[in-house]
Amino acid sequence: MKLVALDQRASAEGLFAGQNLADAKALVPNLELREIDRPFIEQVFGDFADWHSNATPIVTVLTDHAAWGDLMLDITGVSHLFGGEAAMLETLSGRLEALGLTVRGAIAPTVGAAWALAHFSSPQVVGSDVSEVLAHLPVAALRLEESQVAGLEHLGLKQVGQLYSRDRRALKARFGTSLLLRLDQALGYVEERVRPRLPLAEHYVERRFAEPIGLLDDVLMTAHDLALRLSSDLETEGVGAQAFHLFLYRVDHKVMTLSVNAARATRDALHIGRLFAHRAERLVGEYDAGFGIDMIRLAASSISPVAAVQIGAFETEDGAASLDRLYDRMTSRLGPLAVVRSKPVNSHIPERAVKLEPMVARTPDDPQALLPLGAPRPLKLLPQPEPISVSLAEVPDGPPPNMVWRRVTYRFVRASGPERIAVEWWRSADRLQLGDEAQPSLDRTYTEGETARDYFVAEDDGGRRFWLFRQGLFGASEQPKWFLHGFFA
Amino acid sequence: MLGNRHLALDTLRQQITALETRPVLQGEESVPARAGFLVAPRGAVHEVFADELREGGAALGFALAQARSMLEPLRPAILYLQLQGDAQEAGVPYGLGLGSFGLDPQQVVFIRAQTIVELLWAIEEAVACRPVGAVVADIVHLHKALDFTASRRLSLRAAASGSSVFLVRYAREREASAAKFRWKIAPAQSRPPPFDATAPGPPRWRVTLEKGSLGGRRRAAPEGEDFLVDWTEHGFERVGADDRTRGAQRPAPLSGAPSAALGDRLSEAS
Repeated sequence: MKLVALDQRASAEGLFAGQNLADAKALVPNLELREIDRPFIEQVFGDFADWHSNATPIVTVLTDHAAWGDLMLDITGVSHLFGGEAAMLETLSGRLEALGLTVRGAIAPTVGAAWALAHFSSPQVVGSDVSEVLAHLPVAALRLEESQVAGLEHLGLKQVGQLYSRDRRALKARFGTSLLLRLDQALGYVEERVRPRLPLAEHYVERRFAEPIGLLDDVLMTAHDLALRLSSDLETEGVGAQAFHLFLYRVDHKVMTLSVNAARATRDALHIGRLFAHRAERLVGEYDAGFGIDMIRLAASSISPVAAVQIGAFETEDGAASLDRLYDRMTSRLGPLAVVRSKPVNSHIPERAVKLEPMVARTPDDPQALLPLGAPRPLKLLPQPEPISVSLAEVPDGPPPNMVWRRVTYRFVRASGPERIAVEWWRSADRLQLGDEAQPSLDRTYTEGETARDYFVAEDDGGRRFWLFRQGLFGASEQPKWFLHGFFA
Repeated sequence: MLGNRHLALDTLRQQITALETRPVLQGEESVPARAGFLVAPRGAVHEVFADELREGGAALGFALAQARSMLEPLRPAILYLQLQGDAQEAGVPYGLGLGSFGLDPQQVVFIRAQTIVELLWAIEEAVACRPVGAVVADIVHLHKALDFTASRRLSLRAAASGSSVFLVRYAREREASAAKFRWKIAPAQSRPPPFDATAPGPPRWRVTLEKGSLGGRRRAAPEGEDFLVDWTEHGFERVGADDRTRGAQRPAPLSGAPSAALGDRLSEAS
């Protein structure tokens, strides 16, 4: 075991990160140790990163060196709000130092250069002369792997500047393309893209509070007020949005996000406010304002044009719109996959022929999927067919005379079939889609050696009508198995 | 004077309605006319009981058959609600099966709730929404939350908005409830189709109206009576005494009548 991180007092004793635990204990017998919980630190650092989106919308954690520790803000077009880049750097690092953290920051035109300066130089703002500044830094500043750094130092290439004039082909052959990529990224020859942690919004409004607020009702009231402002913003541009996100910035450096979706683009402030109220009911247990919320931002995404509609005296009863609003409300209260419709899919396999699709994200039907069916289909389908035991079905493809299902015996008096449905060899790799992901998948029961199924409609002496199928054929090496798949009306 | 002004406003409203597009409301003529045997009035809460879960197909079939008659051009939607945990036990409605049954799968929206409280909330929200024709809730187990007060709330909401609620239940005992109608559905052996004596025919149910009554002075369906009905492309069809034993001559399907066969519906649609 090794030391991963230590505080100032420990380093004053001569300990260092990477040291063996036994050695460290020998040096300092009364050392206080904690085992590192990486997922937890990663999560806490992620929350911490999100909170920085109150400075700029594009915030991310650079994970290529360590899963936490490197916070990247894209401050393009933001620094003037803080009185210039130098002042911004000072404000942002200052507020972290005030929390008792050790911070090193730098502002540079590229991600790589900023990383190098923050790790291997003093806090500074670099303009366009990146290559000059980087030239004197050690090669480790290029975010390289340890083996690459060791190899470069072995060759006497200790500073970044020494790489500038080297033959690129030789470097590539010796150290791989990643070295050149990192160098080019740091110097700005190759663009480096980062993925913002929070969804980007074209339109947003925010409100800061002099005194932090905590009650959920206050938050929802603010959301409604913000929705009014957002809706007038959207209206001046003649657009509406389908997704709305509410960011709650807590004073203890965490961000809570609430998102709602609408089935059609909208800018109706009342409706947006109501969606958040319903969404909030679903998280009553999870809501935790901590020490209070000092800023709330409401953002809109998935923007599309919405024409102006006459309201008031000439408002008409439009069924489609109020149905969509109903589905929106239900989705925000019950969950994103709770309100669904059945969408036909071009397939013969019964459970694959229909896909459940959320109403808030409807897509047009596939015209090929609407092929007429020759045989009846049951009113209810079991998400996973249940095995039944059948005695003495007629060979080769007769209906069964009885079945035992859920420990009850049924005697059939009428039956029709078989309807043979063969396997779709051209997409055997697809997962079956019915119900949600959490439900057990159908193929677990009978994918092995999947052959054709023979479906029967069978009616028992009580008039109950079932849809059964036989998997496999008589006379094959494996005995055929019987399953119950659905119920007719 | 006042009447004239109202008339003018109404005309203007209609003109503006005609100008605006209403995508969902297209194809209005395909909605069947609301009349016929055993059809309940709208705006009420119905309990549809089956003795056991394995007879759920019949109970759901009857509820959907009633719900279909509640559809109108301005009430184009049927909402089906189920608890997510009951899906494997009771089965889920199947889109293609709805087509075979005589419903347009596009008109039925499924709602899957986590808890009974959420489910009741969803029913209430749905009933309050005017374009919803009917709400069908499939409730497998007994729940404390679904008591007299809850059914009373739903009844008031339904009466106010004109949408109907069908609570499909599976039990032999009956609880106190404010539902206006209570049906008991049991499947019955069907009459085989004309050319295949061994095959099952159209769905046949034994329907008992345990509570409430249909019809005005004629009292077409008084309380406590039971009927044997077939569900065909014409809607409900009463099975006569002679028909219970052997197949009788049936009238040919009317032209333009909504077909219960999926193939026909889909070829019309495409």
